Formats: sequence, structure tokens, C-alpha cells
Amino acid sequence: MARGSNRTGVEENTLAILESIEADDTQDANDDRLAFLEAVSAASFAPEIPVPPTSKMYEAVFQILRVGNSLELMMSSYQLLSDLDKHFPQVYVSKSSAGESHELVVADEVWSPFTISSDVASNTRRAGRENSGGPLDFSGFTLLIEELAEVANVKSVKEMKTEHLRNMLLFQYLAHFLEGDFLPRNIMYEETMNWTILRESLLNMLLGSRRMNYKNLMKDCLSILCELYHVHTGISNDHEYLENSIVKPSEDCNTALAFAFLEVGKSTCIAMQKLLITIMELDSSKKIADIKGQTTRTDGVRTPLLEIILDELTYNVDILWPFLQVFNQPKWKLEIIVQYFLKYTAKPSIRARRSNGSVDDATFNGLLNSFSNDTSAKNIVKKINIGTIQLLLAHGFQAHLSLSSQHIEGILDSKDEQTESSLVEICKNMICAFQCLRRTDEKMEILPIVREALFTAATILSTN
Amino acid sequence: MLQFSSALIQSGVDGLPTRSGSVKYINQIIVAMLSKAAASASKFQFWRFTLTKFRIWHHFTSNRETTESLIMDLDAPLDFENDDPLLPSPAVNKKRKKIIGAKAQKDYDSDEDENDKEALLSNIVNSCQNQMEDIKVEEEISEWGLQVFGNQKKPPHLDFPKRGSCSLLQSFINNEINTLVELTTDEGETFFEGLLVNGWLSKLVLSSCEVEKSIANWTFNLILYSSKEELRESACEFWCAILSCKNEIDSLPVKIDWFPSFSELNKALVAYGFSYDFSSTGKSVSTDSGCRGPPKNLIAWLKFVAACCRVRSKKSIFSTKEAENLVEVVTCLFLDHQLQGLSVILYECMHSAISYFTDQEWDTSCEKIAKSLACRVPKDLNCLRIVDCISGVNNRCKHLRSAVAYQILVVLFSNKATSEEEILNLLIKINVKDKSCDLFRMYIYLLLTENWLLSYPKLEEKPVINEMWGVYLRSCSCLISSTDMRPYASKVRNKASYLLQGPTNK
Repeated sequence: MARGSNRTGVEENTLAILESIEADDTQDANDDRLAFLEAVSAASFAPEIPVPPTSKMYEAVFQILRVGNSLELMMSSYQLLSDLDKHFPQVYVSKSSAGESHELVVADEVWSPFTISSDVASNTRRAGRENSGGPLDFSGFTLLIEELAEVANVKSVKEMKTEHLRNMLLFQYLAHFLEGDFLPRNIMYEETMNWTILRESLLNMLLGSRRMNYKNLMKDCLSILCELYHVHTGISNDHEYLENSIVKPSEDCNTALAFAFLEVGKSTCIAMQKLLITIMELDSSKKIADIKGQTTRTDGVRTPLLEIILDELTYNVDILWPFLQVFNQPKWKLEIIVQYFLKYTAKPSIRARRSNGSVDDATFNGLLNSFSNDTSAKNIVKKINIGTIQLLLAHGFQAHLSLSSQHIEGILDSKDEQTESSLVEICKNMICAFQCLRRTDEKMEILPIVREALFTAATILSTN
Repeated sequence: MLQFSSALIQSGVDGLPTRSGSVKYINQIIVAMLSKAAASASKFQFWRFTLTKFRIWHHFTSNRETTESLIMDLDAPLDFENDDPLLPSPAVNKKRKKIIGAKAQKDYDSDEDENDKEALLSNIVNSCQNQMEDIKVEEEISEWGLQVFGNQKKPPHLDFPKRGSCSLLQSFINNEINTLVELTTDEGETFFEGLLVNGWLSKLVLSSCEVEKSIANWTFNLILYSSKEELRESACEFWCAILSCKNEIDSLPVKIDWFPSFSELNKALVAYGFSYDFSSTGKSVSTDSGCRGPPKNLIAWLKFVAACCRVRSKKSIFSTKEAENLVEVVTCLFLDHQLQGLSVILYECMHSAISYFTDQEWDTSCEKIAKSLACRVPKDLNCLRIVDCISGVNNRCKHLRSAVAYQILVVLFSNKATSEEEILNLLIKINVKDKSCDLFRMYIYLLLTENWLLSYPKLEEKPVINEMWGVYLRSCSCLISSTDMRPYASKVRNKASYLLQGPTNK
């Protein structure tokens, strides 16, 4: 109780710093905001046992991130929110007193950057919401994604704006927040098979909102992921800019923005990938819940993200290359690649059975095996463009290597199906597949990434 | 009048016309006062004062009084001369002077018609009013920020390992699978760049558990000097992957034939234009040659250093002294405005570098780092920035933050104080009511002391420190009145009363 009253005092004192702000956009006002961030940080971390800020304090920090107009304010508020989340997770798994089993702990006073309310309520509130700086509702999240798509269209350093940066930072924070809320719940779900835990996850509620066009949103996310990769590598090689950077104080700002863009752009890519992976994890858990009959009609039906991605990769050829280049989480990458092939090659019955993962075709090694004889290789080439096949196999091989090195490191469970085939076998089959493809098409031009893959396979074979 | 003119002459305006009463003269006064205001880092109150004078003056001249008698009447003391410039940053001053000077000059030229005094004077008053608004906005902007990087040096030429020195390439050429790949030694560099960018190289190394010298050296140089983002980023990821592989506890799982040294990292930093000599790079950077650093390689440099620091338990890449040096460098990078957007990796790098030390080393090293930083950092808002950027999220950071704040205080008092109590004593002795009291300095003292005591480990053992801190805070919060118009008066007062009520003052 003593701690509680102390926290209220801290809250009043720190928020008073903000209340004194009169004019909005002056340096003084920004100084006060920075002073506030410092004060929150000091109040939270300086005590021997760190004390989490109150909801109101969280909210004020978040507001600075949402409407702050200087680079310093954005970076500081983002940093503070990340630090706070790291130290005071709102949801976590803890060992229960009984011993073996775990339990889910949800913090007493939960603050969330999202407002979850019934769809009707959020509808009426929407009018006054624009840029108020408060928590986002579902349409606010959609809006943010749309604005991120704008960032992804930035072609040169000159077009960069501070708002772009803010949107990226905001998105990163939200993506981390959603993940932080989901992961412990998912662990608990796997242990207890209690769907309610996941049903109440922010992500599930967000995606289930009828106010959101889920499919379009996911497509936007996917294209942002691919575009940002281009922007990121493009801008960093914008030499015109570097060469012109003769020292003028006014250019400090541009250089700062360019540096920020380079780094924040990259971390936004990572955050976007994380969001997609988290959604796919949620989808798999939901599928299990569906099968076990734990879901009800109120849970709604949603196309699994994996299917949306597969459709996009199939029908939007332009994003296949950047997607494979940027998406580097091996487990899901391998899954996507294997499913991509199965879409073309598998009989419907096999696809249906795929859920339990027992079908050999559904592993990468199984996939390589289907290129092991000329007839079946020819069949696949008839269905899928040879360039696409090369690209997918090379990336699949790499994802498999990543998985097996994680396997060695003990990060993954030994029962993981994808790593069961030995490394040597995979390397052999990889080379064999391409020898087979070459026989089916003498003039086949081998892609650079495939040459690299084969070099790797051959070198691994010769050293083992 | 005399006082007025003498003020102008003191402020460095030469060649004032002796003839008074001319509109031109008044205009000149405005210009002069504007520059004066700029030169003294601007005083909002001063402007209000000036404006009032001109209003009255305007009123009189419209009534066809002579300006001379008027100005005589208005010879109230101008006390702004007492206020010394508060350690203004030269860059800010220059900028302000330019803006204001240009505007005023334009007004002066735009209306030469001496017959239409009325219109002109109202113009003057208006422009003065506008200037005042501008000044109000700009008031008290002195910002942190230094040019930590000067001009870049030409990066060294990057050599791909010579033919025959790279066994990875050599052994493949004769492999039967090369009939499919058709690799030749000539295209070695491009091909290896592909291997690196697409992530194959780390897979090869992790499966063979060995990195040959030529590859290690080549990728390290790409991190430091390559102009292609893809290459430096991939090279950095490659090193992070081989260093951070987790399957061994006390030794690196991958045998690395060659390790980078501190001196090479330092050499790169110098090539990027880094210099501890902040003041000289801050003022005059030659514009004739080269471009100002740092290059984007700094990002990869930071990540690489962080990765090296994190493997201390398996391999000590740096000596204790070198690690101290790294912490200092990374802290100083926070002072460059250009790098604000990198704060996330700067924090990461700083944390990794701070956790590099063993517990035995840390206490001494922390002290050394703090002393050295305190000597290097300019004693203006930059010294607050440097304390702020040491985030206090873990014990070592808190410790360092407190130590740096304390050491800066020691330096600010020209090493006159030899103990903690003495520092506080000196602080308490400052009379904030005294007009000559530099409140900007006071503001810096206050914030430094706050940070020093915020996570001061011995506060429980030394109640006297806490008591003195309270006395100091009360003097700042009670003795400065809320009508005190001196710059930083309100900031000092508000901060002190916040701290008095705050949780940190137990």
C-alpha cells in the first residue's frame, strides 16, 4: 500500500512537468518533454527495486512517441518504452508455487497502446481520434500500416521525413508489444491447451476485429516488408547524398535522418517479419484449437496468413525474390517454400493430411526427393517456372542449414521434423536435384544464388 | 542617451552617426541592438524592455517632439549589461545573428523616406514586435551537440585474398560439382561477395567450425571500409554469427584463425574522422577537401564492437584499458546530432562494452572512464547530455552515470573540492539571489548533482550528503522567486522543487 501511494506521488510530480507546457512546438516544450521522459526513467529504474510507471505515465510517454516532432523526442520515447517493456513485462510465464507447472501472470495495472472496445464504440469515437496521441484502436492500426506503405515508397534521401521515422518507430513498438503479449500466452496454451488464454491475446482480438479488413492488411504488411528491404538497401547506397555532404549545420538534420532511416528502416523490416511470424504462430495454435473443438462461432473464421502469403507469392511474381531475400526465419521460410511446391504438386488428399506433419513430401528432404528422378522433375518443371524452382530450392536449402545449425546449438527441440534428415543427405540431394534439372533442360541458366548453394553443399560434403 | 550609445558601442557596433534624431539612426540602433541581443545569447526581457522604449518613443515622435529629449528621458539604466552570456554555444549564436541581422537590415533598406516617419516608425515597432516573437521562441535555446567527426580520410583499398591464399575457393575449383557451377578463380571476389551477402559463408564456417585467416580478414575490412551497405551489413552479420554461436560455454565453437585488434578498430574510427578534439572540429571544419564523417560504416562498426564485447567469457579481444577506451568513444558518439537516430544501437553497444569488464575490474575502470569523460566533455549542455545518454537501466550503468556526473562536478569546480561533502558545500554557498549568479551554470550543477545522487550507492551510509542535498534544493527552489526573469531561473526553480517533492529525495 505504501508503494501504491508513493507511485501516485511520482505520477503527479512527473506529469506536472508536462502540464506546464504552454506553447506546443517550442524548444522549451520539447525540453520539458525530454525532462519528463528522464523523470519517468529515473523514477522507474533508479530505485534498488525498479518500480513500473503508472498507466497515466505510460500513456504520456506513448503520446510523446505518437506526436513528438523532433528526432530526439521520438528516439528517447521509443527507447524508454522499449526499456520499460523489457523490465516490466505485462504478461509473463512464471513457475507456480506448486513446482513443475507454470502459470500466466498478467500485471495488475495493465497499460496497453491499444484500446480494445466493442466495434460500435470505436466507430463513434473515431471522429475525434485523429492524431490525438492516445492509444490506437483497430482502425488506427490499419491507418498506421497504410502510412508505413507510404514510407516504403520513399525513393531517395531527399524524400525522407521525420513522420516516416515516427511511424516506423511506432510500428516497431506495437509489433514488439503484440509479440510480448502473445508469446507467453502461446507457451501457456501449449502447456494447458486452454484456448481462452490465446483468445484474450491482443493479437487475436486485433485480427478478429470486424472493423479491420484483415486480408488487405496482411497483403499491405507483406508488400511493406518487401518494399522496405529495397528502400533500406537503396538509400544506403545513395552515393549522391554522401558525396554532397559538405559540412553545413543545416545538413546535420538530413544526415541524422539518413542515419536514422538506415537503422530504423532495417529494424522495421525485422519487426514486420516478427509480426507476420507471430500471426502465423497464432494461426497454428488456433488450428489446433479448432481441431480440438475449443473454438466457438464467436472466434470467427480467418484465412491463415500462410495461405495469404502463398497466394501473394504465387500471383505477384515481383515480390517472390525480395520476400525470400528479406524473410529469414528458417522454420517458417522452409514451411512456406515446402507449401508453395505442395500447392502445385500434391494431391488434395495429401494436402489435407499435412496438418500432422507426417507426410514425407512435406519436408524439405521430401521436396528434394521429388527432383531425384527425371520424370518427376520434368513434371514439376511443367507446372512451375524453372527460375522460381531454382530460387525456392536455394532458399529452402539455406533455411534448412540454418535450422540444422540451430539444432546443433540446441535451440530447437530434437523432435523437429525438418532437421531429421542428416546434413550430408540434404547436401547430396540438393546437388542431385540440380543435376537432374540440368538433364531436363540442357540450356538451363543456373542462378547466382544456386551456384552459391551448390558451392556450399559441395564444400560441406567434402569437409564432412 | 549616453548609456544607450555606450551600450551599443560596447556591443561592438562601430561608426554610429553622431547626429541624433534621424530615423536612420534609430534604425541603426535597432540593428545594433539586434546584433547585441544575438551576441549575448538573447534576453527576452531585454527585448520587452526595448520594445517598451520604442513604443514610448514612437508616441513622442508622432507628437513631433524631438527625439533627443525623448531619449534623454528614457535613459533608464539598461541592466542587461550585467548579464553575462551564459556559455552560449558558438554555433547557435552565429546562426541567430545571421537570421536576425538579415531581417533587420532589410527593414532598414526598404524604407528610406524620411518624410514618412510615422509609417516607418510603426514599421519599426512592428518589426521589433516580430523580432520579439522570434526571440521568444528562440529564447534559451542553447542545445547540446558537437561535431564529433571531422573530415573523413580516404579508406584503404580493399583486397580480396590473393589467389591461392583462400583454401575455401581453391579446394572447390577441382571439385567435380564445379562442372555444374563453373566457377573460375578470376571471379573469386564477386562469387564470395555473393556467398557473404546471401548468408552462405556463415553456414560454411559453422559446419566446418573453422574460419581461415584470409576470410576473417577480408570480411573484417568490409565491415570497416566497404562503401556498399549490403557488404558491410552481411560481413557484420557473418562475424556476429560466428562469434555468438551458442553451443560451447567457455570457448568459441568456431576456430577463428585471425582476430581483429583494438588498434585496427581505432584506426578505422580515425579514418571516419573521429577526434576527441571536439572544440576544433566544432568550429572550423575545412570545407575544401573531403566530406564530413562518419561514413555509414559506423553502424556496422558499432554492431561489431558490441558483438566482440559480448564474447568476453569465451575470448578476451580487448584489454581492460582498450575496453575503457571503447566505452568512452561510444559515449562521446551520443554528442553528435548526426547520430541521434542511432541511439538504439549506441545504447546496445554501450551496454555490451560496459558489461565487458569483470566485477573486479569494473570499479576501477568505471572511475577511470568517468574521470576521462569529465575532462573531455565541454562544460555546457553537452555535459548534461553525456550523463543522460548513460541510461540507468542496470547497476553498472547507474554506477557509471553517477560517477560521470560527480567527476564533471569536480572539474566544474576546478578540482577545488576534494570530497563529496565539499562539492555540496560549494553548491550550497552559491547565492542564487545575487544578480551575477550564473543560473545556467546553476542549472547544470543541479542536474549533475541529481544524477550523481540518484543512484549514489552510499547515500544510506552518509545521511549528511542527503541533508546537504536537501539544503541545496531548498535554496534553489525557495530563493528564486517566480517573478525572477533571469534566463534559467524558472528552470532551476522548477527542477529543484520537483526534486524536493520527488521520490529520489528520501
